[in-house]
Amino acid sequence: MPKSTDRHTHAFSVGHLARRPEAGSLVGLVLVYAFFAIMGGAVFIGAPGWSSWLNIAAEVGIVALPVGLLMIAGELDISVGSVIPASQMTAAIVSGYFGLPILLGIAAGLGVGLMVGYVNGLLVTRTSIPSLIITIGTMFGVMGFTLGFAVLIAGSTSVFLVPDPVTKLILGTFIGGMFNVSIFWWIAFAAVIFFVLHYAPIGNWIFALGGDRDSARNAGIPTAALTIRLYMLSGFAAAFVGILQLMTYQNAQVATGQSFIFNSIMCVVIGGVILTGGSGSVIGIVIGTATFAIVNQGIFFSGLDPNVGSVIIGALLLAAVLSNDGFRALALKYSTKKG
Amino acid sequence: MNFKAKALAAATAVALMSTGAMAQDIAVIAGSVEDAFMDKIKKGVDDATTMVTANGGTVQYLRTQNYENFGPDLVTLINQAVAQGVKGIAIPVWVPDAQIPALQAARDAGIVIMQYNSGLPVMKDVGAINYFGSDEYAAGFGGGKYLAEQGAKHILCHIQVPGAINLTERCKGVTDGAAEAGAKVTVLETPPNLDGDVTGTAEAFKAAFIGDSSIDAMVSCADFGAAAGANAVEQTGSKIMVSAFDFSPASLDRIKAGTQKMAIDQQPYLQGFLATSMLFAHLKYGTNISTNPVLTGPAIIDASNVDAVVAGAALGAR
Repeated sequence: MPKSTDRHTHAFSVGHLARRPEAGSLVGLVLVYAFFAIMGGAVFIGAPGWSSWLNIAAEVGIVALPVGLLMIAGELDISVGSVIPASQMTAAIVSGYFGLPILLGIAAGLGVGLMVGYVNGLLVTRTSIPSLIITIGTMFGVMGFTLGFAVLIAGSTSVFLVPDPVTKLILGTFIGGMFNVSIFWWIAFAAVIFFVLHYAPIGNWIFALGGDRDSARNAGIPTAALTIRLYMLSGFAAAFVGILQLMTYQNAQVATGQSFIFNSIMCVVIGGVILTGGSGSVIGIVIGTATFAIVNQGIFFSGLDPNVGSVIIGALLLAAVLSNDGFRALALKYSTKKG
Repeated sequence: MNFKAKALAAATAVALMSTGAMAQDIAVIAGSVEDAFMDKIKKGVDDATTMVTANGGTVQYLRTQNYENFGPDLVTLINQAVAQGVKGIAIPVWVPDAQIPALQAARDAGIVIMQYNSGLPVMKDVGAINYFGSDEYAAGFGGGKYLAEQGAKHILCHIQVPGAINLTERCKGVTDGAAEAGAKVTVLETPPNLDGDVTGTAEAFKAAFIGDSSIDAMVSCADFGAAAGANAVEQTGSKIMVSAFDFSPASLDRIKAGTQKMAIDQQPYLQGFLATSMLFAHLKYGTNISTNPVLTGPAIIDASNVDAVVAGAALGAR
């Protein structure tokens, strides 16, 4: 995204920049960071501040990326909120309660995520029920199973697991005492999904799916298989976050994860993904996640009332949707001129 | 059916009804089947039921399915108990507006009400004979005083749901309890979108700890807040005392390992056990406890008694 060179040339390139879906969110990120840098001072600009918002961004970001892909494809996934506790509880029961090898526990946890994603995808493609309703349904279903099995098997809603040093190092350690290793996993997820959406042929299929599902199917895109895979990816990512949390806090609880539902959707929307599908970018989702995390944590460094943070996030969300429309109109104007 | 048989049937029915009237049948109404806290209450009810049945009474244990339609669901359970002809009902009052009219109607029909776990302020309106539970303010007071006596000078009190009345009461208690032993308290309310999010809450604590280096202790109104607090302490390398209301097996492990100072327990087992057994004893033997209300908390769990709590937790009572 060579934006600085674009800006020096004429209107044609401004149009090119504005057409990028993440243009509006980048402006938001810069403004928000500047605001909290001034309010939070040296501590927020330094390592404690960066580690603070990056640690938050990493976890919600890993979930937001595939949720964003789904939203670009015109679907929602609410079930991530209960996949996180389901995967960590599964892993904790397998490896902590039964004492089986940790890799088996992790595989079981991730498997739960893939399975929930597969069921979601199947229901979305086989029925005409909106994905919002389907994934709310699976969310409650998975929540019930997690709670039921946890109490039935482990006799508690909270299960303990002490990972071996290597697993802890890879999945749940704090580098320099502050930076959670999850940040690197977020970068890895972003890189892979960036390639998938913007370079692999499947990326164009995803955009086509969100643009017009029927036309996409008529054009020969395997829409059902693609939707199922996207849901499996989102289930996998949520399960992965569950595993990261388990290795970090060494404890699985049935009641975690609900906050990820709205937080992930907000990151995606702030990142410039259009709610009706068909438009968005991975860079935008990453920027949206960073913006969300900076507001969320910056507030605690700024000395402002934490409730102000919720107000700012709400305002950002509305501003993002409005500017999406504004930038899209601008982009269409310039592309018309070009044509 | 001839006359003799009819008379016999009638006599049997009368005999059955009269034994029904003689027996001390009671109903215990509780919260959602999905709520783990309620399982500890159930353990207490189960143990008391053994005593009740041994003395010729019965206990009907009724729980709501979830908390989605809580007020009306509770009223349905109260009416169900009344229709079954119980002599006493043990119940927490969570939704006073919905529950009080139904409970007053039950009382007017001669049913004795015993209250537990929740609704201490509305006990008079309910007309309950006693209350077994905790008082949020008293629990906070005990916790704040404990931390101050352990050397804390500046305590952070964490509220995970801003505006929740019971949590505000807890932190108010912490503030007054700490003040009595010479410590001050700062309340930190994290936004609702961090509720249950350990990482987000840990980072919020980290910011607070870095922002004010005079903080030397923290108490969270949520059990997960202790996990977040322990993590923030680890990240900042400080020696801040971590504590929380309620606890999980992981909290007990942290208390054993020394990364959590204490947990404030309201002993739900006792609430279920005492409400059930004392209601039955009142109906059967006419006993009354002169202490009213009976507070089952705060019980402080720290390194000195954690092993006993772990043993109790393994048995499902703690």
